[in-house]
Amino acid sequence: MVNNKKRGKETRLVGGTGEVSGESSGQLAALPPGEVRRAAFWDGARGIAPLLVSLGAWGVVAGVAMAKVGLGVWGALVMSMLVFAGSAQLTVLPLVAASAPIWLIFGAAFIVNLRFVIFGAVLHPFFRHYPPLQRFGIGFFTADAIFIKFMAVFGQHTGPATRTQTWYFVGSGAVCWVVWQITTVVGALLGSAIPSTWSVEFAAVLALIAMLVPMCATRPALLAVVVTSLTSWVTQPLPLRAGLLVAVIAGIVAGYWADVRLERLQQRASQA
Amino acid sequence: MSGELDIWYAVLVIAALTLSTLITRCGYLLFGDHIPLSPAVRRALKYAPVAALAAIVVPEMAPWTAAGPQWDWRLLAGLSAIPVFLLSRSITLTMVVGMMVLWGCRWLFG
Repeated sequence: MVNNKKRGKETRLVGGTGEVSGESSGQLAALPPGEVRRAAFWDGARGIAPLLVSLGAWGVVAGVAMAKVGLGVWGALVMSMLVFAGSAQLTVLPLVAASAPIWLIFGAAFIVNLRFVIFGAVLHPFFRHYPPLQRFGIGFFTADAIFIKFMAVFGQHTGPATRTQTWYFVGSGAVCWVVWQITTVVGALLGSAIPSTWSVEFAAVLALIAMLVPMCATRPALLAVVVTSLTSWVTQPLPLRAGLLVAVIAGIVAGYWADVRLERLQQRASQA
Repeated sequence: MSGELDIWYAVLVIAALTLSTLITRCGYLLFGDHIPLSPAVRRALKYAPVAALAAIVVPEMAPWTAAGPQWDWRLLAGLSAIPVFLLSRSITLTMVVGMMVLWGCRWLFG
């Protein structure tokens, strides 16, 4: 399934980002499939580890908020296990507190979640060769941190995912899922013990900024961030947090425009 | 607000959130072969992750209320995170310094 040519390319890519040690990539080619899986699973878990602090902080915050809304520890745990989407969970809680109708709660969560459709489209070429149940499992784990980390490590890869890539994804996803459950329960138990004036949830935003900064390395990406930021700032009065979707679309259009323009300029420069 | 929710309302809320997340996360992976995307669309989608992150982060730092834009020390704390990360390359240190800036500014300036 994994030919030597592809393995060589992947090792170079992984080594280039410094995510997987040269030692373990070198070992992988010689290992039996079960060992490859295990090594890739733990590489994924280690790769996502720096982001677990922010995920954990966010989990505690979500747990506190869910307890305050009246879901209780069990309700908070069941919601976190099934949904595993912090932004959607935190978005709907004010609506739940106001006893909003279910369709409105579904709609608000759907808009906040729309970026996952885009993530799914980006991941589809990697995982299309798997049977439906496995693709469903990959989709379930496509939280922001996991997707962004995966693309940062394997984003230059084209074609179907190798076994190493798939298990890297599963490893990072499984670790995040477990940490999310533990921290949600801790948060729900803490309840209102942490005063809300401390704003501990802002630590999660700081972590997202730290993720965003290195992704602005190209000029089209930087323009996409500037346009998204301005748009998401002015569209906040829109209902149901619809400004989020508007800003994402504006940023994508700006990034695409700059990408095409940059390519034309480079072509012209090379012809001249 | 702090009372227990009606159990059936809680079940429906969890079901709605689960459904919404599964449709958006698994939909394209399950049915993507029937929804072809052109190279241009894929090229545009490269910018989705940065756009999504920026769109989540900015309203947290520079919120609006019904009265319009609000000043919040979070903006300064968030902006301070950029040079801290560029110099240290550490997410944890960025979080620590950013929270110090936020708490320090609130303590000093109210």
